[in-house]
Amino acid sequence: MMGSSFDRRDFLKVLGWGGAAVALSGCGNTSVEDGKETVVSYSEPTDYMIPSIGVYYNSTCAQCDAGCNINGRVREGRVLKLEGNPDSAINRGKLCGLGQAGVQHHYNPDRIREPLLRSGDKGEAITWEKAYALIAEKLQGVDGEEIAFVTGGMSGHSKVLLENYLLSFGCKNHFVYEAVAPAVVRAANEKSYGVTMPRLSINKAKLVLSFGADFLGSWISPVHFSQQYGQFRKGVDGQRGILVQVESKMTLTGANADRWLVVRPGTEGVLALGLINALGTASGDAAAAAQGYDKERVSKDTGVSVEQIDKLVELLKSHTPSLVLAGSAAEGYVHGSQNAAAINLLNHVLGNVGKTIEPAASVPFPQMSPAVGGTAALTKLGEGLSAGKFKVLFNYAANPVFTAPASMKLKDELTKVGFKIAFAHYLDETALQADLVLPLDSALEDWGTSVPEYMAGDAQISVQQPLMEKLYANTRGFGDILLVLLKQRQSDNYKDYADYYAYLRGAMLQNKNALGGEGADDDTFWNHSLSSGILKAAGSSAALSGSASAAGLTLPAPAAADAQYPLHFIPGVSASHRDGRHANQPWLQESPDPLTTIVWDSWVEIHPKKAAELGIVEGDIVEVTSKSGSIKAQAYLFPGIHPDAVSVPLGQGHEAMGRYAKGIGANPFAILDAVFDKETGELAMHETRVKISKTGQRVVVVKDEGPAGGSQAGKKIAARLDANHVDLSKEA
Amino acid sequence: MSVSNLLSNWSEFRHTHPVDDVPHDPYKWAMAVDLDACTGCNACSIACYAENNLPVVGKEKYSHGHVMHWIRVERYWDEDGREFPDQGAQFLPMMCQQCEAAPCETVCPVGATNHTPDGLNSQIYNRCIGSRYCSANCPFKVRYFNWYDYPTTDDVWPAEMTQQLNPDVSVRGKGVMEKCTFCVQRLTVVKGNAKSEGRIVREGEVQTACQQACPTGAISFGNIVDPESRVHKQWQAQQVELAKDVQAKDTGEVASDLRGYRILEELRAYPSVMYLERVRELAPAKSEHHSA
Amino acid sequence: MHRFLRLSVLLMGLFVASSYAADAPSARMTEDSLGPEVAQPIEFPHFRHAGDVNKEHPEKGGMQIDCMYCHTFARRSAVAGIPPLQKCIGCHQSIESVKETPRIKQLFEYWEGSKEKNIAAKTPIPWKKVHDLPDFVRFNHERHIQRFVFQQNRPVQEACGYCHGDVKTMTVARRSKTLSMGFCAGCHEKDHLVSAEGGKDAGNQAYWYGFTKPVVKTSGALTAKGPNDCWQCHK
Repeated sequence: MMGSSFDRRDFLKVLGWGGAAVALSGCGNTSVEDGKETVVSYSEPTDYMIPSIGVYYNSTCAQCDAGCNINGRVREGRVLKLEGNPDSAINRGKLCGLGQAGVQHHYNPDRIREPLLRSGDKGEAITWEKAYALIAEKLQGVDGEEIAFVTGGMSGHSKVLLENYLLSFGCKNHFVYEAVAPAVVRAANEKSYGVTMPRLSINKAKLVLSFGADFLGSWISPVHFSQQYGQFRKGVDGQRGILVQVESKMTLTGANADRWLVVRPGTEGVLALGLINALGTASGDAAAAAQGYDKERVSKDTGVSVEQIDKLVELLKSHTPSLVLAGSAAEGYVHGSQNAAAINLLNHVLGNVGKTIEPAASVPFPQMSPAVGGTAALTKLGEGLSAGKFKVLFNYAANPVFTAPASMKLKDELTKVGFKIAFAHYLDETALQADLVLPLDSALEDWGTSVPEYMAGDAQISVQQPLMEKLYANTRGFGDILLVLLKQRQSDNYKDYADYYAYLRGAMLQNKNALGGEGADDDTFWNHSLSSGILKAAGSSAALSGSASAAGLTLPAPAAADAQYPLHFIPGVSASHRDGRHANQPWLQESPDPLTTIVWDSWVEIHPKKAAELGIVEGDIVEVTSKSGSIKAQAYLFPGIHPDAVSVPLGQGHEAMGRYAKGIGANPFAILDAVFDKETGELAMHETRVKISKTGQRVVVVKDEGPAGGSQAGKKIAARLDANHVDLSKEA
Repeated sequence: MSVSNLLSNWSEFRHTHPVDDVPHDPYKWAMAVDLDACTGCNACSIACYAENNLPVVGKEKYSHGHVMHWIRVERYWDEDGREFPDQGAQFLPMMCQQCEAAPCETVCPVGATNHTPDGLNSQIYNRCIGSRYCSANCPFKVRYFNWYDYPTTDDVWPAEMTQQLNPDVSVRGKGVMEKCTFCVQRLTVVKGNAKSEGRIVREGEVQTACQQACPTGAISFGNIVDPESRVHKQWQAQQVELAKDVQAKDTGEVASDLRGYRILEELRAYPSVMYLERVRELAPAKSEHHSA
Repeated sequence: MHRFLRLSVLLMGLFVASSYAADAPSARMTEDSLGPEVAQPIEFPHFRHAGDVNKEHPEKGGMQIDCMYCHTFARRSAVAGIPPLQKCIGCHQSIESVKETPRIKQLFEYWEGSKEKNIAAKTPIPWKKVHDLPDFVRFNHERHIQRFVFQQNRPVQEACGYCHGDVKTMTVARRSKTLSMGFCAGCHEKDHLVSAEGGKDAGNQAYWYGFTKPVVKTSGALTAKGPNDCWQCHK
């Protein structure tokens, strides 16, 4: 493991040599080459660095916003594999496939290596000095209101620097844009519980009723929830937890549920109110809100049978505490906020608030806490763009050209911006529209801090540190670039910091008392921070509001049938692909979608009954057409979807980005209608209606259903027992 | 070993894996996979790609069945005639079962696959001539053949990505068979360390890559000979015995409520992987059941 | 019918004969086999460092430095390691007597840098690999050193010499054994002692890698055969 005290920068220099010259014993074929191969040693050794023995460094995963703490295996100066940090309250030594693919992001052959300046259709490599000078020049005399800064979710010190930078212009246009985010749920939580992200305890619940929250796949902090799920299945007091999933398209979580209830798209809230009504324990507001939602009506509206509602009510009564989750399937409608509110109300009625829903800890540094967003930022950004308001636009960790509904015409609107600067790892769709592209370090070569939005345990700040020497001389960390830009504005304030590392160290040391370093000398504290990768902060947690207010809760009648576009369109969010930013990592392309087992492509999920009606068979290329556009993809007959809905997974359909992503599949963002949730202004992702038609082409679906084609052929292969036949508490 | 040695000990070689005589001493690596905890998320599979230098073959070769995932997650829809909402998917992580009487071993014409004293089914790349008999004879279809020389195939390992390769594992060339090794490179390291210290490997000292990644902790792995190991305890609690092809608990008239089973046990391959059945809360009876 | 039998008898005879031939002590396994002479960036004199002390002509003899003083990883890693440049400098910066010799001057060029030769300071010396194994073979130095040196108290030079030859008499090292699989098996097929002689107890589980359990010889010595599990070296 890691030495207790050393100078990290020197260490990296040494590693650079080792890394460059190491003999790759793992590759190449078989020849014996006495006297040909060069064998290079370290010029100055360090006692913890032994050739052929892996050294582990802690850092933080940057593949999604869950912010799992990771542990990178480094050998001879190269990072080989990422594993979970066992001391992390978030992921406890575990790591999902997406997180592991972080090394493929780092070693990706399509990373940008030089700053690029647009010259016609091409990018011309320029020096950083020139790039910085150009930015200063373009910002000359520009008013704060004329600058737009688009980013993904951010936290930690780079967020602090960014806020300071924007402040120096008096700029308020920081658009935090996350194409796939639980934004409506955050707002609903704020109303129902008083906090946006309470701590959820799946492992304390005896029953989890999830309305489309894919917490095992892509929702909020999937590794943490999966780990809780493992305990939940073993059960509290030997009583195995029961998972009921309500949604219109089966997610990974739905596939693992004991009971998977398919509802008519958009009626999740109706079912929640129906359950409140049927439970009959609610009073006041809640009872009033649920009034009239009798079983028969609810069954008619949602398509869930009365028997299933009865069974569910019975389960909810006998299994306390329980936990009800509102997820992306419930929030993706014009009335998404209402859906989420109704679902959260059910938690109040069941008395789960305070038991399985608890206040989460928060770090005592509000300036570092996460800046989260959703798609609501798009509207404002779009308005500003079409008004020609922005002279300079920065884009970081977001790809709005790819992820915004095509009907918003963001790509065209961007041409109205005088100068566009993209911080990028790849030449993705948005970077291709930029005038200046600044190549970033990968997360495995950069410094940083982050505060997870979902705080699983005590308040913590996660440390990200380089696991190896930079691969390319001319990439820069986002923090380093910001610091240079800040020095252009306020050189006096930042002159003490040679680079972002110095800034980070200085900032952390300043607050070491609050970060558990009281009494420790600076170096000891800093070395401890780096070796553990997690800093516990003396955090506070706000109390949850206990009130079960249902004021203003009204749900619309189920959507009427649309003759022209008869089908609901459900964009699928997969654990590996999310909003498409990871599409160029080949492990993720080759890793089958868990439910359809399809690889390297997009597909259209259609219920077999619907397919039979339309004469569609597996592999037919179908055209999915909405008011806003159309895409083509292969059909896959999928039993886990409402017959009146079709689903296409997000994340594929890139026109740029790199060799593994470009030209693969279709992009469903392109056909989303630009309709928004009434309360929050978030894009109503599930509100689009479509029709499908055959194109006449057919392909062989490339999938991996196992040697027997997904059938067990009467053998005991993947076996199953009834829950009442087994007592898990006896097991080892 | 010389040929005469081979001849004089023929019966012993053909029966190297003594299901009935000497128990493995001091190691017998085994696994238990809890299907009730497995969510089918594929983290295990990607961890295996990272640890074992598995090539990414791309769509075209994938369509020809050339995918190289040593551990794959199979998905099965329930087949007992139920419909949703009581229907669901089942996931099964399938990797080399490290059979005690491995069908692949007996058919290899060159002895490239054989049993180790630790009860692993080893695959020796430099001995393999690519007859693929082993794969044909494997009931679990967990052996993968290198139809191409992936190290020199475009976009499998571009120069940048070769830096990620694990130096502890050979990168296989064209024409050889490969399969899950139970991360033998990790086992060798801990065994070596233990041996230098004059002890045996302790429970928890080594994890396979898939086990380490699994977010729900569905996979446990260890030395089944060690009574302290979790795997030993699990196998024992489930009354699954390594050396039997019919378990005593399955012969009774009443169905057992123990979840442990081995896949295709009746083929007498004596797999070293025990699965624990998925548990599902089911609707009371089919007659009362309505689909949505 | 009989003719047919004759053929099979003949074949059988050939087979048996060849297996006896294969059983004869194979020269391949023991014979020294010199590798190519490898030109190194600095002609490193192993004999001066590791060689025996020559009392009559001290300048011709060595200093009997332990192999592991420089190849320091051998006891704790699969690879023995080429000594880091700093190690050479550590001694040589205070050995004035040889400081002006050509080789040492060359050494310091790597440490201090040389503008003429375009060498940056602290550049590792690009030594050429002398003992190379095929990439699918994984030899572990640590296990051998632990066994022979630390558990059985054999002299280091003897233990290293099993495979590397008499390096203490060489200038730059040269491969002197075949290092083929037969060479490895030549040792590993032999019985070897399980309980240590004069050294630390090798532990009663030293046979773990072997197929066979230890055998008590008439002499009372406990012996076992070495690993013949393919995965020990090939993986």
